[in-house]
Amino acid sequence: MKNLYRPIESVIEDIKSETPNITTYRFRPKEPISFEAGQFVELTVPGVGEAPFTPSSNPNITDTMEITIMAVGTVTEALTKMKVGDTVGIRGPYGNGYNLTDFEGKEILIVGGGVGLAPLRSLILALFDDVDKYKKISIRYGARTPEDIIYKDLLPEWAQVKNTEVLQTIDQPHPKWTGTVGVITVLLDDLPLLTTVDVEGLPFSPETAVACVCGPPIMLKFVNIALLEKGFKPENIYHSMERNMSCGLGKCGHCMMGEFYICKDGPVMTAAQIAEFDDPF
Amino acid sequence: MARGFYVNMGDDHPSALGVAPSGFREKSDTPFQARGLARMKEVFIGSENLLKLIGRWAKDHRVYVPVTFDIMNNEETPDYDLVKDALPETIQLHGAAPAHSAKTFVFYPREVVANYPSSDAEANVEAPSTVVVGPRGCDVRGLAKFDKVYWSTKHFTEEHDDPFIIEKRENTYIVSIDCTAAKETCFCTAVGGKPFAEEGFDLNLSPLGTGCIVTVGSERGDGLLAGSDDLLREVTQEHKSERDKNRASVTEAVDRQNAQFAVEQPYDKRDLASSEDAWAYVTQNCVGCGACNRVCPTCTCFLLVDQRAKGGYERSRNWDTCLSIGYARTGGGGNSRPALAQRLENRLRCKFEYSRDRYGLVTCTGCGRCIDACMGRIDMREAIKHVITEKAKV
Ligand SMILES: Cc1cc2nc3c(=O)[nH]c(=O)nc-3n(C[C@H](O)[C@H](O)[C@H](O)COP(=O)(O)OP(=O)(O)OC[C@H]3O[C@@H](n4cnc5c(N)ncnc54)[C@H](O)[C@@H]3O)c2cc1C
Ligand code: SF4
Ligand code: SF4
Ligand code: SF4
Ligand code: FES
Repeated sequence: MKNLYRPIESVIEDIKSETPNITTYRFRPKEPISFEAGQFVELTVPGVGEAPFTPSSNPNITDTMEITIMAVGTVTEALTKMKVGDTVGIRGPYGNGYNLTDFEGKEILIVGGGVGLAPLRSLILALFDDVDKYKKISIRYGARTPEDIIYKDLLPEWAQVKNTEVLQTIDQPHPKWTGTVGVITVLLDDLPLLTTVDVEGLPFSPETAVACVCGPPIMLKFVNIALLEKGFKPENIYHSMERNMSCGLGKCGHCMMGEFYICKDGPVMTAAQIAEFDDPF
Repeated sequence: MARGFYVNMGDDHPSALGVAPSGFREKSDTPFQARGLARMKEVFIGSENLLKLIGRWAKDHRVYVPVTFDIMNNEETPDYDLVKDALPETIQLHGAAPAHSAKTFVFYPREVVANYPSSDAEANVEAPSTVVVGPRGCDVRGLAKFDKVYWSTKHFTEEHDDPFIIEKRENTYIVSIDCTAAKETCFCTAVGGKPFAEEGFDLNLSPLGTGCIVTVGSERGDGLLAGSDDLLREVTQEHKSERDKNRASVTEAVDRQNAQFAVEQPYDKRDLASSEDAWAYVTQNCVGCGACNRVCPTCTCFLLVDQRAKGGYERSRNWDTCLSIGYARTGGGGNSRPALAQRLENRLRCKFEYSRDRYGLVTCTGCGRCIDACMGRIDMREAIKHVITEKAKV
């Protein structure tokens, strides 16, 4: 029988620093690993351990995979010591991603906080590949300070893509920042107006739009409340759930939330699916 | 009232512990269905001959039998031991269940599951043919959880089959034994079980005064009897009535000790979603050691751990416990269950609620091991009664 727990050798091909503690790595697995936007993989730092990450690269590219990683602990710190040419392990993909056919013809709101924009990048790139299929793509991104913004060079490029807008905020005023200030929900304040008023010529109707949200738990909580208030349907709000994960296969139990395995039933779950929990984030 | 009081045995859950009558699995083309027999065959074996039979098995298989160990405080705890050249002198086939549950034979406390950087796509599983004599009804039912979690069912596709569990499960003969006595902590009948196994075994032994009734539960169980006709006799009506009497009296004994823990209304979804105070109260003496998880026949959880090894690195799978603070910890210090009371709540709701919602299985088999093992003397029967009673107040 096939061994589920075996990491596939993958060579680090490129390392790009995004912020002082966030880095984007490009890996070339020895056996191609294809994934859907929103699915995740288990990344092994040899001898140190594994951790779950959602690739940030375009899912239509299968020979390499990029992952944007914030250094927060054992595995992620050990990764920062590795160099181009070193070998790591990858297994996966696991879990449910976004079902892009459900998004066709719709307005898509993408809300990212901090490093949470990384998993959303693979979704954004997949959407861009078929941009004509979607009515509108609205990307709203919040970071703590201007230094904490990831994909600094990509964000302006994304804003140029057809039917796409990019709105940004930072948490606290900063001398180098001239844009919006405030936590991410300030970028959602204008949503009800968008049903009647054009913003940059792009109308928005919460009743039919879908929202894809990824960020720290506290952010998910408040964005969820805000979107429901704006009239988004719970079944159209897709959250990227974070839980401790060991196996990624629905076996080790670590990711369980009630009867759900976040690694199998998620990590992308709708607000409707998690509505029965008092504090799912 | 007393029977099945922890479980709402409504129509939606015909078998509280979910062991389907015809075998273990939901799918029809599975090894365990193939193992089920249309009609169970019964034979009688005398006590001396049974020991001979076990000795014969030991020639072709690894055989484990329950023995009593004289531990420092002189407590005689039956637990499994490997049969080597001779049968252990303190072999004990009657009485209450062995200290370890049957899970230990298919789910090792620690097992290497991968070597890397370069490793075979195929799993390299060590699963020698093993006969386990001694699991009780509660143990056999406990294995159903392993089959659900580790084998493809409607919840998991085949690509997620776990070779390490499955190959051991396939190479492990279960020779279950009827309980002839109940521990103070046994409560199988409160969770829809019985103090004897009716399915899911290869052979079952029903101890009688002069020997055992051997019930054949599978083709390969029958194979364990092949060539040993010299040791077997026909079952008589007297044998059967002695067995039935024993089964009834142990069932009654368990029912009797269950009565004091009975709750007013049967358990239903969310009845254990009680107040924080109620859970804090039952958790007072818990130290979070996780002994309850380790001894539990249905605790399937594990942690993968990587380390350096000869020629590279190895990944091992280790029993994990949801009572430990690190279990739900996420990168950067988040934790969905930082309080011990939340974690004990998770354990009990996992048994009665989450696995039921997920798999249609109430995964507490009532074996009482978690009560025996707890140094804080936490008795889950009292805990559940307290939580449900408090819930009813609000
Ligand atoms: C589906 C998913 C997708 C993700 N995608 C991304 C992404 O794209 N980018 C990103 O940056 N992050 C992502 N994350 C978060 C990322 O997985 C974590 O940041 C990462 O696991 C941290 O690992 P670490 O070893 O560096 O951190 P640590 O904090 O050292 O370790 C966390 C892990 O170690 C264990 N642990 C640590 N301390 C203890 C202790 N005291 N006792 C017991 N156990 C302990 C925990 O079990 C936990 O599993 C994602 C998470 C999930 C679930
Ligand atoms: S065995 Fe007892 S003390 Fe230990 S974790 Fe379980 S309930 Fe707590
Ligand atoms: S929860 Fe306790 S009594 Fe129930 S099966 Fe597990 S160890 Fe046995
Ligand atoms: S009680 Fe805890 S350790 Fe046991 S199966 Fe459930 S989550 Fe896993
Ligand atoms: S990560 Fe192991 S069950 Fe989900």
